[in-house]
Amino acid sequence: MSLRHLRAIIRKEINHIIRDRMTFILVMLTPITMLFIMAYALTVDIEHIPIAVLDFDRSSTSRAFVQRITEGKDLNLQTYMDTLDEVNDLLMRGEIKAALVINPAFEHDLLSLRGMPLQIIIDGTEPATGGFALDQIGGRADAFVGELLAAQIGEQGRALSLQPIDLRVRTLYNPSLKPRVDMIPGLISMMLGFPALSVALTLAHEREHGTLEQVMATPVGRAELLLGKIIPYIIVGLINVIVIPVIAMVTFHIPFNGSFPLFFLLSAVFLFAILSMGMIIGVFIRTQPAALALSFLVIFFPGFFLTGIFFPIASMPEIMRIEALVLPGTHYAIITRGVFLPGVGLDVLWPYGVMMLGLGIGFTAVGVLFFRKKLG
Amino acid sequence: MFKRIWSLVIKEFVHLINDWWMPAFMLFGGIMELLLVGWATSRPITNLPLMVLDQDQSAASRAVVTALENTGTFTLEAQAPDMETIQDALDRGQINAAVIIPPDFDNEIASSTGRPTLAILLNGAESIPATAALRAIEGVTRDMGKRITLRRLGLRPENFADFNPSLRVWFNEALSEALYTIPAELGLMLEFTVLLFAALSFSRERELGTLEQLLVMPFSSLEIIIGKSIPVVLVGLFDFVLMLGMVHLAFGVPVRGSLALLLILAFGYLLVELGKGMVISVISRTQHQAFLLVMMIGMADFMFTGYAAPVESMPQIIQYVANLVPAYHWLTIMRGILLKGAGMEILWPNVLALAVLGLVIGTFSLRYVRRALD
Repeated sequence: MSLRHLRAIIRKEINHIIRDRMTFILVMLTPITMLFIMAYALTVDIEHIPIAVLDFDRSSTSRAFVQRITEGKDLNLQTYMDTLDEVNDLLMRGEIKAALVINPAFEHDLLSLRGMPLQIIIDGTEPATGGFALDQIGGRADAFVGELLAAQIGEQGRALSLQPIDLRVRTLYNPSLKPRVDMIPGLISMMLGFPALSVALTLAHEREHGTLEQVMATPVGRAELLLGKIIPYIIVGLINVIVIPVIAMVTFHIPFNGSFPLFFLLSAVFLFAILSMGMIIGVFIRTQPAALALSFLVIFFPGFFLTGIFFPIASMPEIMRIEALVLPGTHYAIITRGVFLPGVGLDVLWPYGVMMLGLGIGFTAVGVLFFRKKLG
Repeated sequence: MFKRIWSLVIKEFVHLINDWWMPAFMLFGGIMELLLVGWATSRPITNLPLMVLDQDQSAASRAVVTALENTGTFTLEAQAPDMETIQDALDRGQINAAVIIPPDFDNEIASSTGRPTLAILLNGAESIPATAALRAIEGVTRDMGKRITLRRLGLRPENFADFNPSLRVWFNEALSEALYTIPAELGLMLEFTVLLFAALSFSRERELGTLEQLLVMPFSSLEIIIGKSIPVVLVGLFDFVLMLGMVHLAFGVPVRGSLALLLILAFGYLLVELGKGMVISVISRTQHQAFLLVMMIGMADFMFTGYAAPVESMPQIIQYVANLVPAYHWLTIMRGILLKGAGMEILWPNVLALAVLGLVIGTFSLRYVRRALD
């Protein structure tokens, strides 16, 4: 391998990228645009969940109960309803996510300590909001019953509730559990994956146009050619590695507690691994549409769903947990979250860095080998 | 005119068959992957690594640990010897949560006025598992707390079973996770397939230099557009029916409403996405550009499908933006028909919004593409 050859290929590739101004702008800006879209879309506080009440009892106790349930900001009493049909209709339209049905004997049964004739209805199509509403209603209903019990049994004078256990919850690194604080670092792997798609496409592009043979006729070696193709996109990626955390910190107040040089280094390793994946696709596939479809299926879709950003890997079936290890994004998501939030160092993150490096070397080797066979 | 359009459609299908990798990947690869992702992610959150520091070592503290294990949400790591171990494991991201049971836990429970404490540490660096962990822990302590109180009052817990509100879950009685993750994943796959096909329609011909040939032939620009559109919509509909059938068989996703209505609305939705794809296709000078634009737009749309976070909880201004995203309305329609069995009388606001969006995007797209072609 000669540095001179490598440099020539890199210069050619950079010329390609820059001359095609629109593509250049897109390659540079897609990751940053993604960051903005996600940051705004993930600014979520689960509150103002609309609920309806169907009060058949209409007693002072039931009114106090409803008051108690909806006193916070999270559940909004949308409306009082008169019939179950109306409640069903609202659920159907998605205008409410949960409903309380208070049976006629509510006050009577509660005051005589027989029980609490209450039905909670939740919309099972949206568990994020439905499950949350269920938890909140359940907890407040228990507290309400506890106070009633205390009053009835004459234990006044001491705060008695059905929740004597004092649960002291402390959430580290992201105290309010805001999704965007951990999602944005996690999704950086998706943003940096864009250059990989570009590598797959440029290689396929050369084959489609037959320009690869021209380059192959020069004394440039195959490994040099492939590396030369990847390095410009690593550079583009590294610029994004600097820009994305800065925007995340300054504009969206995502904490960055770790070491930036370490983040930079490990991001470079990730770029190497993911771009090698793109390279393999480009080596195997000869037309751009096919390369594009395959990079969507191999890099994009699994990178989104199977790398533990949304769904924890621990809860996946065994085979998928192994499969996740082959995706560089899995390791990189652990690294980005670790560096951004707890601010851990290389002593913790080195296994993931090594895994990504191994994957990158493996992918590159496969790419170069097959490249040789196909053109040799 | 129809004959000429027909010949254009035939030409497109010949292209698809000659370069069969792309349709094969997109259709069959896409369906395989949808099944794989659905299988891996449409399940409750379980096996979260949890650490316990039991400073009490009593029957009561062991009951807490057993109850936590029985939720199925957690996998218990070895007992932690001290706080440093827990802190370290949290830093390393090895555990999602830790429970610390203080030394006097048992005594506090036994005493009639005691207030037993449990300290919980959550790893906020992964908010979704942390939220699931918190919910499970709250559920366990609520049950325990209830029993403690009743015992203190000298009452038997069995008599108070009636104090638990009865629960009804609508549209998803078994609380199957598949029913809400699969539609979003299917929607994303469908959107990308159609957008990619549509976005390549002109950008590819232009890059290969065949667009000029097409333009000098005796076709009007409208005929060319229609000829390009028909295969995209046909492929999209075929893809949708195939995916729907597969998820129905594999994950039991029901079709409770009218299948005919769903297919008609799917057709409408595909036309809207087709309009978007056509604009991308004309804006882009190369397939590379078209691909990047599709990825960006598709991923942005995905944020509004309710997969990552509920749209209703987003800031008001973002919710207005969501209304401009066809995929948002389509997902509402699809969930409505599949899960709720809703009909037009319920879905009309979304259908109307989709129609208006389609009209605007379609008109713009048609004018823009025609101008670009002429």
